[in-house]
Amino acid sequence: MEIKQDDKEGFGVLLKQGAEARIFESTFLGRRSIVKERFSKKYRHPVLDSKLTLKRLNAEARCMTKARRLGVYTPALYAMDPLLYTLTLEYVEGPAVKEVLLAFGEDGIIEERLDDLATQIGEAIGKLHDGGLIHGDLTTSNMLIQSGTNRLVLIDFGLSFTSTIPEDKAVDLYVLERALLSMHSSCGNVMDRILTAYRRSSKQWSATLNKLAQVRQRGRKRTMIG
Amino acid sequence: MKEFHVDGSTTLSLALFTDVSNSKELLNSMQAGTLEPEAAFLNASLVPDVFPVLAAAHKTLLSKSRESLTTRTLHSELVYNYSGSKHITESLKRCGISDNTTYVLAARFGASADEMKMVEKLIIGKEIDLEELESRANKAQIQKHYKISGLELAISSLADSITCRIATRDAL
Repeated sequence: MEIKQDDKEGFGVLLKQGAEARIFESTFLGRRSIVKERFSKKYRHPVLDSKLTLKRLNAEARCMTKARRLGVYTPALYAMDPLLYTLTLEYVEGPAVKEVLLAFGEDGIIEERLDDLATQIGEAIGKLHDGGLIHGDLTTSNMLIQSGTNRLVLIDFGLSFTSTIPEDKAVDLYVLERALLSMHSSCGNVMDRILTAYRRSSKQWSATLNKLAQVRQRGRKRTMIG
Repeated sequence: MKEFHVDGSTTLSLALFTDVSNSKELLNSMQAGTLEPEAAFLNASLVPDVFPVLAAAHKTLLSKSRESLTTRTLHSELVYNYSGSKHITESLKRCGISDNTTYVLAARFGASADEMKMVEKLIIGKEIDLEELESRANKAQIQKHYKISGLELAISSLADSITCRIATRDAL
């Protein structure tokens, strides 16, 4: 077994670029990996910039590993570099839930698979929430279906935080509901199936779902009047 | 003995021993700094796979290249990093060897073939294949030391769980 790490300069092949980070494909000690680099924002004061970036890097690493401790599949964290602001993660092979659902929209729904998917999503969120972890960016592109095992893997904990307040959990679910409505309305009411699984998985479902009803009335932002 | 490339230029050589009878002497000469050549000795019961050791080695070389080692030597840093904890004394005690350790994983950075022979000679015991790590690991002890719950083990291998802890230590 030859173990080598190439690409000393770059981090590998650029896969995606977002507003906060770039995603590269690379190898770490012989394993296929993902490198997530948070780049600096030139418009911020350099001191503030490095503080914010490092804080978010650390928070993401903590939340990802906390999710694993709660029994939710997330990519394993292999390494982090507080100087280059990178996280090195396990490479998960498979399509995003977004692609799976869009394919359902085009080629017709496979009920069995959709049910399994919704159940896995509901259970995973339930586990996170009961453990006091809010994902913060639950969209169908931040959920992968691992090829071969068909397991749901949650990614991108960049906006995650810990909280036990029903409000935060409800907003977490609401963000997903809106994302599903706007992207995947052709799949029918996936959210109802997800919430059914959530109710079974989370012990604190009642407070959260009551709050969710309120959040639906007013939207994600709280009204700060009175 | 097996050699692994940790980064572009540095290797880590590993050798696994069972029925080791001179842990006490090894420990003494290590603490006196007279070990020749310098090497790291890990309590192999806590090592279910080489991958987390290599991840710890990777982290060690990174701090070395930035002149930011926390402990005194490169090899003690490897043991400290493998522990996934910030408590140096406790790390070296638990993940390093003690007087009566009989199952030892020896490691040396950038070792030549001759140097590794010398390391192998230092240890009085029977060298076995690295493949045996998994079956000989003390699962209960690992779970206790790294605080790995059954919940986590349902979705992760022991090795991956340890690697995550090694990687996140400084983020906590």
